[in-house]
Amino acid sequence: MKMDEDEAQKQRLKAAVHYTVGSLCQHIVAECEKQITKQTIAAIAETAFRQCDIFAKDLEAFARHAKRHTVTVDDVKLTARRTTALYNYIHQKNEELALNNQELKEKRKKNAAKRKSKDMEAEENEVED
Amino acid sequence: MANAGNEIAFKKETVAKLLTRSFKEDKTKVSGDAVLLMTEMLKVFVEEATRRAVKQASSEDCDTVDIEHFEKILPQLLLDF
Repeated sequence: MKMDEDEAQKQRLKAAVHYTVGSLCQHIVAECEKQITKQTIAAIAETAFRQCDIFAKDLEAFARHAKRHTVTVDDVKLTARRTTALYNYIHQKNEELALNNQELKEKRKKNAAKRKSKDMEAEENEVED
Repeated sequence: MANAGNEIAFKKETVAKLLTRSFKEDKTKVSGDAVLLMTEMLKVFVEEATRRAVKQASSEDCDTVDIEHFEKILPQLLLDF
């Protein structure tokens, strides 16, 4: 029974991947004023699906190596290590993500910083004299 | 690295499921941020695959990107990722 469920989920996931890949491919080739065959899109989708499996196993190995059970962004960054441009791009995307998270904590930090700078200003004035 | 169609992206639920089904251990989980970042990785992977195939087709003076073009760029693509 479980095998059928797994198989059904696998097909659903493959279909979801295929859909997004198709949209991405069509968008890119249109930009380049070209066409692409359905067969090629299917091949790219299949490759992406398989690559995901490789990524996942790497991620799990990295997390395990760090003695963690949860895969984090540090593990993801490691999977991008082979090409410098890719690594930098993923780093940048991570910074953007971190920025979004920071916005939530910003208010609290602002108040603490205000108090600190007031103290530091007072200290500086003392030193200058 | 250029961004193709900022609206087109993999759903994070899809990516999360894709990753977790490949984990060998039941205990292994993924953080939300890691899923988001992996979504980017996948998108870049697909974009690179497509753009390189397009370049290959161009270099052969073809207007249609065929499976042969993809096959030719596939080895280097996998090495780069």
